[in-house]
Amino acid sequence: MSFFKVKVLLLICIVLCLPSVVVMAKHNHQTMIKEQAAENSCQNHNISCAKTVTSSFARNGDLWRVWTVDEQLFFQISKDNGKTFLSKQRVNIPDEKISARNENRPKIAFDKANGVYLSWAMPREKKYTADIRFSYSTDYGKSFSIPSTINNDNLLTGHSFNEMLVTEEGEVHLVWLDSRLSFKLRKQGKEANGSALFYASANPRKGNFSFTNQQLANNTCVCCRIAMDVNQQGELAIFWRHIYGDNIREFALLTLNNNAGDELKPIQISKDHWQINGCPHQGGGISVDKSNRYHMVWFNQGDKGKGIFYASSMDHGKTLTSPLSIGDINAQAAHPHIQQNNSNIDIVWTQFNGVEHQLWHQQSTNNGKSFGTAKQIAKAQSGTDRPFIIKRDGKSYVSWHRPKQGHWIDAL
Amino acid sequence: MSKLMANLALYLFIFSISYTASANAASSVFTKSSFEEIKQKNLGKKWLMILWSVDCPPCFKELALIEKLREETPNIAVVIVNVDDNNETARERQQIINSFNLSTLANYYFADGLGDQSRYLIDKSWYGELPRSYFIAENGDFHGKSGLVKEEVIKKWLVPQEK
Repeated sequence: MSFFKVKVLLLICIVLCLPSVVVMAKHNHQTMIKEQAAENSCQNHNISCAKTVTSSFARNGDLWRVWTVDEQLFFQISKDNGKTFLSKQRVNIPDEKISARNENRPKIAFDKANGVYLSWAMPREKKYTADIRFSYSTDYGKSFSIPSTINNDNLLTGHSFNEMLVTEEGEVHLVWLDSRLSFKLRKQGKEANGSALFYASANPRKGNFSFTNQQLANNTCVCCRIAMDVNQQGELAIFWRHIYGDNIREFALLTLNNNAGDELKPIQISKDHWQINGCPHQGGGISVDKSNRYHMVWFNQGDKGKGIFYASSMDHGKTLTSPLSIGDINAQAAHPHIQQNNSNIDIVWTQFNGVEHQLWHQQSTNNGKSFGTAKQIAKAQSGTDRPFIIKRDGKSYVSWHRPKQGHWIDAL
Repeated sequence: MSKLMANLALYLFIFSISYTASANAASSVFTKSSFEEIKQKNLGKKWLMILWSVDCPPCFKELALIEKLREETPNIAVVIVNVDDNNETARERQQIINSFNLSTLANYYFADGLGDQSRYLIDKSWYGELPRSYFIAENGDFHGKSGLVKEEVIKKWLVPQEK
């Protein structure tokens, strides 16, 4: 190789490398500045750094909110329905990974005797694997039990999207999406589609830690949250997105009958015919009133029904009122949540107009027979969490987290 | 000495080529202008844009399909866009891209907290269900499809068919 050729090659090297080095250096510098700024602002684990917030009223009327930053759970208590909060406290358990974004988030519930119960999904070392975790406090949050794993299969597979209800007496009910069945099928070289709905209950306060796992349904959607409420007979009403036929994703309802021997018969609720071999990332909502009417909301993009729908049922889902369309489908209406309160039915959801995120509310004062006009009640400039309605003493509140902007709670 | 210099120059040349390639392959943030650039760059040919998330198991199957197709036909026109809009998932995102050998493919990600804005830029009628695939015709027309797309459909769109 001549000296001239060597020089030409070196020159090409410099020409090729220099812009990249400059661009990369500039990019890295800017990235570092941004990351440093974000790190500094989140060093105190402020709630605005969290992607999700879970709120609930304790039996004594205190409002609790829980969030996750840096593999740690934090909580704050409000004595005035969310107007002001006491100092932030860390849930004093060892650090561990906690799923807390989009449809997945920690759950909190209370008994009548200062018991505070937490559950969450803990991602494991392999992609799409997680365990359902549980911890509780008998001294109103001063201390918490060492977290335990609820799924009892000892398999490195998916256990996620946990939902929890706790009775006044401390009976803990947990449901989640579980991949143990599909995991075993795939190990045998067989095809599997979706997850399964699993259930466990126990009463740690009374020394019962059994949490025996029970399969409730198979072939559920793998990436939508579950909704759960309790009916007037004390039975659990569970509402989730199921897979019917060839990837038709519809909502199903199961009332967990008190008669242990009864066959489990989930009922298909939505009939929008949304065929998708994928992830809708949109769970539904359910709330049971004093007359035992089940009020439900869901979102679909089927060829027979698109958008948010509300319907109710007086017979555990066997028959249904005609689904009512909620929100503006042309404004990205999505992520509905519902809560009944005496004869009021409140529904909230999000919309997006290309510039701002909006929180919308629609109310029925006659138990769902008719609804008033939809109203926008809040907005946000950057990304938003799903909205949820919680209630206390005959009054409903909406909880809406806006990452980087803050958590917002207000009476409906 | 001149042989040593020549070898050094060759090594540097190879390094610079690979460095430039890897630098260009880094994920870029998805913006209005980058979207326009992508569309302009691919105008006049059939191409595919796949939207995916680290929280979407079926998306992995579609990324695996693209990996397989690229082994057979390396220059297929595919752009992948990660929709997580979450700085916390950046490392995971890159690991997944690398695991499917897609780091040399044009790939973008939604900026933290701007998921809805970015989605709106692409398609006002798309609600975020995944995977989402856009089949873009030579004239720039977009045809969106939600859910895992079959291999033969992608192949028919991207790979010139023998007559």
